[in-house]
Amino acid sequence: MSGEVSKLIRESRIIVCCGAGGVGKTTTSGAIAIAGARMGRRVLVLTIDPSKRLAEALGVERNPPAPVTLPADRLQAVGIQAPGTLDAWMLDPKLIADQEVRAIVKNPEDIEKLLSNRIYKHVTTMVAGMHEYTAMQALHRFVLSGRYDLVVLDTPPSRHALDFLEAPSRLSRFLDGRVFKMFMPAETTGGLRRAAGSLVSRVLGGVLGEQFAGDLSVFFGVFAGVLGTLNRDVSGMRDFLSKPDVAFLLVTSPAPAALEEALFFQRKTDELKLPFRGFVLNRSHAYDYGRKFPETALLIGHSIARTTAEKLQNLAESEKDLIGRDQELVKDLARRAGVGGFATALPVLLPNETEMRKLETLADQFKGA
Amino acid sequence: MLEQFEGLIKKRIVLITGKGGVGRSSVTAAIAMAAARAGKRVLVAEIGDGRDNEQRIHDYSPLARLFGLDHLPENKAEIMPGVWGSMLLPLKGHELFLASVFRVGALAKAALHSEALRRLFQAAPSLREVGIFYCLLTYLRQKHTDGTPSNELIIVDMPATGHTLALTGLPKILLSMVSRGPIADALREGQSYLNDPDQASAYVVTLPETLPVSETIELLEGLKNTNMPVGGVILNHVAQDPFTTEERLRLEKVFASHRAQGTPLLGEESFHYFEEARRESERLAREISVPLLRLPDAPPGCESLVSFLADSLLSSAAVRAGAPQ
Repeated sequence: MSGEVSKLIRESRIIVCCGAGGVGKTTTSGAIAIAGARMGRRVLVLTIDPSKRLAEALGVERNPPAPVTLPADRLQAVGIQAPGTLDAWMLDPKLIADQEVRAIVKNPEDIEKLLSNRIYKHVTTMVAGMHEYTAMQALHRFVLSGRYDLVVLDTPPSRHALDFLEAPSRLSRFLDGRVFKMFMPAETTGGLRRAAGSLVSRVLGGVLGEQFAGDLSVFFGVFAGVLGTLNRDVSGMRDFLSKPDVAFLLVTSPAPAALEEALFFQRKTDELKLPFRGFVLNRSHAYDYGRKFPETALLIGHSIARTTAEKLQNLAESEKDLIGRDQELVKDLARRAGVGGFATALPVLLPNETEMRKLETLADQFKGA
Repeated sequence: MLEQFEGLIKKRIVLITGKGGVGRSSVTAAIAMAAARAGKRVLVAEIGDGRDNEQRIHDYSPLARLFGLDHLPENKAEIMPGVWGSMLLPLKGHELFLASVFRVGALAKAALHSEALRRLFQAAPSLREVGIFYCLLTYLRQKHTDGTPSNELIIVDMPATGHTLALTGLPKILLSMVSRGPIADALREGQSYLNDPDQASAYVVTLPETLPVSETIELLEGLKNTNMPVGGVILNHVAQDPFTTEERLRLEKVFASHRAQGTPLLGEESFHYFEEARRESERLAREISVPLLRLPDAPPGCESLVSFLADSLLSSAAVRAGAPQ
């Protein structure tokens, strides 16, 4: 079962890890990246919202402007040897959007006008969909750069796990030319448009106040130049993600709510014709590690009181049940993954291990046969 | 009744936040159920999307599932005795807003029927949040004929931490952009509810585990920079350690010797989990300055988690069960 994951890590160009919040997507992405680099690939892991400790482990805690290469000693420590490399980057929507604007807008005055526009700042930091859009943008850019053999994308945490996939269409609606044109100078548009435009400016002036309407018009005015390029990118994204060297992995925990969301998500990738490849059951108890049941005789031999022994045996019973449950769960997920899909389990890790040690332990699971 | 819960149900509006996987939806539903049992007219709400109906059916709502629904209703409807539900939709908020601004006249009609304007409201930055905000404000304002509020307690399930900060920080940011006009007025009115600790509070749901506790402490720091009052932290899944200190010491030795021999034992993992849970709840209690509500772990085979949690909120026995000894 891990043979399939390891083949995927060896051969894919892009691996997208999706799933509900709190299932350990970032940790799984990091482990996949380490496994890929150990195979001698040049790997980039794009994370969204890593915990402080994980960001420190990957060397991205200071929100760097470009991907950070893990230093040689750290690579060696986790078993990565040349030509394998591991870069990490934390996606910052504002930073990526600024970079896009600078790349696309020609007039330096316009660049400054837009970058200092209050609405622009608000859009790039707070508006839903921007995270997702910039993630796609960065993914696209790094894959095309040819600097990496494999890019692992940790998707944004969202209640709707699918926001990530639908962000392009939402952004394209947001960037819809018709909305922008209403803010363009009247002489460039027809009579009907002028009428609509004047209604809009009356409503905006009256409802939002002149100041906001003014900001809005600068925002849309300058952003219109960026529009053509962005729209083209957005429509190209779906094709880009449908290629055979792209793999969507669905990360879930054994919690019923996370599982239900994972299955829902699988249906969705089917609908969108995206290359779903398998499930990763994270934080599972599917491995028994040869643990033995604490029999009464054994415990009494250690001079443990009978009442204490009973309490421990209750816990051991529930652990045994969990192991059985999760082993069944992986089988069930494998069935649901269908032909060509797989399901693999990752173990629950002890809380007192360091983040890097956790990533390594999980990466070991992807070694393959 | 839990003392801290008494404080919660005195508010008009409560925002429930917390990272994925901590049981936020179950806690939200349990608070709604418990408040209804305590005699409150409760409205439970979640934030919907600005998209059209066709796309909205792809959304996934764990909260609505707990009430046996796919989604919370678009228009307020009773989803359980004493509990009403509603999805806060930006588009709906825009309609309500425009209708209130242009009470009569051609402009209101034209505005509401202008496809271009609708699209603009859906697409333009910040206006999505304004729509959600206006929905919330409308529910806060609704009154019975005798003048008492229709929605005595509004509970909002806030999906991600970022959203909470966005919504609670919204009035301040928008007012810096829009200082006059009807939107500004609505924002100020909303602010007067959200910034008043007697009327509004945010509650953070978390687990007694290392990472969730660290993240909660960070979030509380972040909330300090907004004017949003924090009502407390809800510690979910508080398990009761069955062992005495004496027993723990003895068992620790047994586990160590078996690990050394390469024959680890079942039960050790749970044994360590209790240790982590105790250490982390103590750390949380020490580091935060807001009230801490402890919700006990449901017993195995518990049929309705929501109902169990609601019972815990309403009985003071649960506090003792969850409290450290």
